[in-house]
Amino acid sequence: MSETTIIKTTNLTKVYGKKSATFTALDNVSIEIKRGESVAIIGKSGSGKSTLMHLLALLDKPTSGTIEIGGKDSTKLKNRQVNRLRNHRFGFVFQQFFMNSRDSVLNNVMLPLRIAGIKPSERKRRALEALEIVDLSDKAKSRANDLSGGQKQRVCIARALVNNPAVIFADEPTGNLDSTTGKLVEDLLFSLNKEKDITLIIVTHDEDLASRCNRQIHIKDGQLVAQPRKGAKK
Amino acid sequence: MKFWDIVRGANSNLLRNKGRSFLTILAIFIGSFTIIMTTGVNNGVNTYIDKQMNSAGGEGYLEIMRESSTTSGLGGMSNEVQEYSAEDNSMASMLITSKDIDKIRAVDGVETAKAWTMLQADYITSASTDKKFTIDLAALPSDTIRIDMAAGRAVAINSTTPEITIADKYVKPLGFSSNEAAIGKKVKVAVTNQISGEMTEVELTISGVTNPSVIGMGRSWVNDRASHALSDQMLAGMPAEYKNQSYFAMAQLKDDWLTDDKIQQVKDDLKEMGFTAMTVEDQVGMIKTFFDAVTMILTIFGVIALVAASIGIINTLFMAVQERTREIGLMKAMGLGRGKIFAMFSWEAVMLGFWGAALGVGLAYLIKVIVNPLAGETFLSGLPGFTLIEFNPVTLTVIVLIVMTIGFLAGTLPARRASKKDPIEALRYE
Repeated sequence: MSETTIIKTTNLTKVYGKKSATFTALDNVSIEIKRGESVAIIGKSGSGKSTLMHLLALLDKPTSGTIEIGGKDSTKLKNRQVNRLRNHRFGFVFQQFFMNSRDSVLNNVMLPLRIAGIKPSERKRRALEALEIVDLSDKAKSRANDLSGGQKQRVCIARALVNNPAVIFADEPTGNLDSTTGKLVEDLLFSLNKEKDITLIIVTHDEDLASRCNRQIHIKDGQLVAQPRKGAKK
Repeated sequence: MKFWDIVRGANSNLLRNKGRSFLTILAIFIGSFTIIMTTGVNNGVNTYIDKQMNSAGGEGYLEIMRESSTTSGLGGMSNEVQEYSAEDNSMASMLITSKDIDKIRAVDGVETAKAWTMLQADYITSASTDKKFTIDLAALPSDTIRIDMAAGRAVAINSTTPEITIADKYVKPLGFSSNEAAIGKKVKVAVTNQISGEMTEVELTISGVTNPSVIGMGRSWVNDRASHALSDQMLAGMPAEYKNQSYFAMAQLKDDWLTDDKIQQVKDDLKEMGFTAMTVEDQVGMIKTFFDAVTMILTIFGVIALVAASIGIINTLFMAVQERTREIGLMKAMGLGRGKIFAMFSWEAVMLGFWGAALGVGLAYLIKVIVNPLAGETFLSGLPGFTLIEFNPVTLTVIVLIVMTIGFLAGTLPARRASKKDPIEALRYE
């Protein structure tokens, strides 16, 4: 594991609502995530873990505090640059898959590359490569809807992988899967983390999944309560 | 995202809900088709009129009426009981007398003027046939009017021989073997005396055979000598004053008075004297104005249909934005900018417009291919060279582009809504 910091937050605070009825979803959270780490953001629903992930993934802007991506303060970036950053360096895996169910598996996997404006032949090559990694090459031409839940999530991982991201954000990746297929998907994510040195940030309330990560970030009522490392006391 | 990906994506997104897209396209198609057909027919009519105009000639030729007689038609239809006025409404005031002709001749720029003699022939026949045929006769008003000749020449107005041109359709019935064979042959035209009711035949010489055309459709023209011979027979026994009256007069302008300004000056002079004068162009202009007005009304209907259709576009796309909320959220999360999201949905609207208009062009073209030959064989058979529907590629392109622009404008509302969606909210949307 290299020691380069990939994401660093300082006093990250997110407040929803206007003056009279404000709600602090995230309160002064300062964390540092190193390149190649696997991190679980864990907490009950409503704890602010999703808000933290959204901020880390630059999907939302903090009320105060900073997020540095690769040493650069992202809050100072323009929308275009943020979009570019997300497109080039982040991959996303969601609990509900979010696939275009009528479209082919291949087209679904190619979506981030289409957004990046990569030419069709290159797109196809890279998407097939990504499908190879998740072991679904034979399903490239199938309709996304015809796949099983586990297969769908693997297609989503291929989609998150296709742009060679530095970080993959996974929001409850096994939440919609039974334990056996969930295990498969987990294995896949961790093998990518190890083999491709992709930083993994998993939002979950599943203790077992969280325990497989290098580090857990426990969030409660919007505050960082603990960051136990793997193997440390449970 | 690249431009072509957006365009291709727009088309494939339209195919996701085929029924809905098709109905929206159908609505656009109805409006576009109406406009395309209307301009097509208008184009056909105008092209033909222009063609006829160019071959009609008639430079410096004016047809003159009493000013009151142009309004009397409307006055007669009025619901109001109108008070008698010696100047306005009497028949006498609508007539042009030989004194008037003298006055018209005296106007600056007028080379010559004469009364239009009304000729009502009963029949035409020749030595080579026993049969008699009805015929529509008119005195050729001016040498400057070009007549489309199939053979021979137009009547010479000042010739001492009474001459006539006949339409080509009369050649065979009158017993001539060909157009050329008819030239120089004699025909007999019968007229009835207005007082005695006695019918007399007048012998005329064929100077030429005419092609059918819109100006003086199939009419036979006679020269002054022939027209006098015929009218003498018709009006024999009538008072001289009556003989010299007419509803129309015509004037030929001098050769150096043919500019628009000078023609207008003559018209103004005549107007001051109580006459209305029209050039050949004015007369054709009236037909054109009529067709343009009809075109305008139909185009307005088309535009109304398009406005209704664009509401359909807005509706369709609002539904699409709603359905694809999560997809929009996902794409935004993956770094697709607001501008591109806006472009995606706008292009869907533009493509709806494009397909509607393209369908309109397609069907209009099909109708043109089918109807033009049919029309040529049936109700337009008398007007050779008249293609009912004519399309101009530039006009068609402009119409398609305008419809696409309307689509774009309609699409801006839903596209804006899509582009403003917050990715987190959109991904949470169930």
